[in-house]
Amino acid sequence: MTDHKTIKELCAQFTRIINEPNLEIQRVHAEKPAPIIGFLPTDVPEELIHASGAYPYGLVSYEGMWVNRADAHLQTWACSLARCSFGMALAGKFDYLSGLIIPHICDTTRMISGIWKQTRPYDFMENFVLPRQVDRPSARSYLIGELGRLKARLESFMGRSIADEELQRSISLYNKNRTMLRKLYQFHVRRPDLISNLDVFNAIKSAMLIPKELHNVMVSELLRVVEQQTHERNTDDAARGVRVLVTGKVWEPPAIMEILDESGGVCVADDLSTGYRYIANDVTENGNPLEALADHQLKRPPSPCFVNRGQDRLEYLVDKVKASGARGVIFLHLKFCETENYDYPLLRDALFDANIPNVRVESEIGNVSHGQISTRIQAFMEMLGGEEIYGS
Amino acid sequence: MAASQPFKTAGLLKGLMAKYYEQGNLARERGVPVAWVTAVSPVELVYAAGLFPYYPENFGALAAARKVADKISMAAETRGFFSDLCGYARCGLGDAYAQEHPVGKIVRPDLLFCCNTQCGSLQKWFETAGRLYKAPYFLLDAPLIENASTELVKRYFVEQLEEAINFFEVATGSPFNFDRLAEVLDLANEACRLWNEILDMAAMKPAPFGFFDACFHMAPIVTWRGTKEAVMYYQELKNELEDRLSKKIYAVPDERFKIYWDHIPVWPKLRWFSDLFAEHGALVAVSQYTHSWAYQFDLDRPLESLAENYSEVFSNRDFEDRIQLKINFMKKYQIDGFALFSNRSCKPTAFGLYDKRKIISDRTGLPGIVFEGDMSDLRYFSDEQVRNRFKIFFEQLT
Ligand code: SF4
Ligand code: SF4
Repeated sequence: MTDHKTIKELCAQFTRIINEPNLEIQRVHAEKPAPIIGFLPTDVPEELIHASGAYPYGLVSYEGMWVNRADAHLQTWACSLARCSFGMALAGKFDYLSGLIIPHICDTTRMISGIWKQTRPYDFMENFVLPRQVDRPSARSYLIGELGRLKARLESFMGRSIADEELQRSISLYNKNRTMLRKLYQFHVRRPDLISNLDVFNAIKSAMLIPKELHNVMVSELLRVVEQQTHERNTDDAARGVRVLVTGKVWEPPAIMEILDESGGVCVADDLSTGYRYIANDVTENGNPLEALADHQLKRPPSPCFVNRGQDRLEYLVDKVKASGARGVIFLHLKFCETENYDYPLLRDALFDANIPNVRVESEIGNVSHGQISTRIQAFMEMLGGEEIYGS
Repeated sequence: MAASQPFKTAGLLKGLMAKYYEQGNLARERGVPVAWVTAVSPVELVYAAGLFPYYPENFGALAAARKVADKISMAAETRGFFSDLCGYARCGLGDAYAQEHPVGKIVRPDLLFCCNTQCGSLQKWFETAGRLYKAPYFLLDAPLIENASTELVKRYFVEQLEEAINFFEVATGSPFNFDRLAEVLDLANEACRLWNEILDMAAMKPAPFGFFDACFHMAPIVTWRGTKEAVMYYQELKNELEDRLSKKIYAVPDERFKIYWDHIPVWPKLRWFSDLFAEHGALVAVSQYTHSWAYQFDLDRPLESLAENYSEVFSNRDFEDRIQLKINFMKKYQIDGFALFSNRSCKPTAFGLYDKRKIISDRTGLPGIVFEGDMSDLRYFSDEQVRNRFKIFFEQLT
């Protein structure tokens, strides 16, 4: 049983980072000062920030109490992710940032960048102006150019140039992180009793809040212990629970994963920005690093923000459900998230047509009823096959 | 008041639009594929390719102006689409599901061609429609321009236009005709020139024409741009306006103030607003919206020039640029105050207005307000609230 405790202890480290997201980065910063550059989730080439010598930092841990702070600048019918991030900035919660990179993935991110720059600028304010179509040749050449632009901006801000080898090293470091997190994810799928939904999602989210060097140490230690345990234990009773796929943007409020854990659901696949999408694919390590970063971005799993006629999200989700053995799909949507809201009805219908049960759970950062979410998820789990949860 | 002196060209407009819709309905029978296009997209390519360009946004605006947008939208909402999506999109999607079609049936696309230079809403709406109708979809992607455009963005846009041409060639089964494109661009230039000369008449004091008139007369510059019909129409309208000037017929007879409006009109409230302003001797003279169609193409470098015109429109510019563009209009039209419309349907034009109002007032000294509402859906519009906001505004005009 001591080992079991160790897993929980190791996982608790991630929880701590998320609960006090500024502590660790500020500690690291005090030890080895370098600018901290924030980014909105998550289609941002963090490797470039890292290679420039700055600390990348994801604005992914939300304090709902600050949502309304944004009201004087941003309509209340903007999504709560934008309102909360910006509200926290206005409340001074990110004053330790030297910069911020906003990826243009929807109209809200496209517009908030100007407001933010006007109202609460940091020294380095940049947009990452992504191509919004990803499967035509033009997208690739443009994205390589845009990455080059961002690289040049970072170089001039940091007062140094980024050598290809440095960028390669950052890429390797990030690949290692992604590879290990994917491994952890697979462990979670097989042994949710050891690594819960919350554990694995906390591990992924915390990777955006501290330097990858540190995160890699933590994840590899966890993996080692988990591996040991899976060897020691008979796995017959392991794969309990109802397998589900979760689709959406971010898993907010975090309690959602606890609710899923408590109701016997096991997230076996997802496309969340702060979930599997963040770790899904690696960057090629040989060849031109900017081209490799571009390909990485273009080959991320389909998202509602990018048009991908080569691999439509409709088919992608249905395939993903089948491949992962999920028995149902949970749409986890933020209110007013336009990109998801356009996709939802036809995705829902496509799933039903393929006989895949699904449910939509809507949340709003800073304004959620845990009770309601809990009831909805529990009911869905029971519908999918409660007997397995509580059975032998 | 604008509406009390009906335009002679109104009849012409009606005929022209009827013809447009009829062509849309007959296109497929005649073997002409129907391409859905967005209002600010290089429709010149679509005309040159021999496709019929259909504007679903127009359908939305028409439904809004006839005050049935909420009703049609409900058909989409009962299917799970959300009421926070752009009202045009809800109408377009709703009509596909609806049993009743109070403004006619939306025309089914054979292919969809969307430019997101206006917004990402269209990108999503067209993608959704592509799935719904199982039709191929092409997104012409416009990265936001900060300060000045770059070679990178221009090259990207041109490369995409070439991809679009391929896309059209597949749809029509015939090679793209660049000579035809030159003719279309020439006609588009002519229509845009006339349209902007007409818009400029609103700078006269008193003026024969204002923003609400422009909203009424803009359909051809959107839908018929690139054809003889548009040129003919705006020539007629211009003649009529000159005639009105000589007869001293003005949009607001006792015009005292000129107002800048941003951005889209509240379609079901066009008359309501035009009366409200007229009561106070105020003419809404200009809006970035109606000035979107101010293209000038260089026939010697058609694709580059299409790229510049469509990627650099105001809706694809950053915060500071948009402020500057608004201020430029205010100067050019000698504006006395401005009203910014926080349009619930249109996040890209609404987000940022709260700060812009303050910044513009600080820089110009002009009074301005932001008011809340929706361009098409009256469920999000309160007469009383808006009237009260404007009451304060009118008091500030001097
Ligand atoms: S994609 Fe959705 S959740 Fe993300 S910023 Fe845009 S509207 Fe908000
Ligand atoms: S009203 Fe706004 S959101 Fe809707 S289609 Fe037009 S530009 Fe896009």
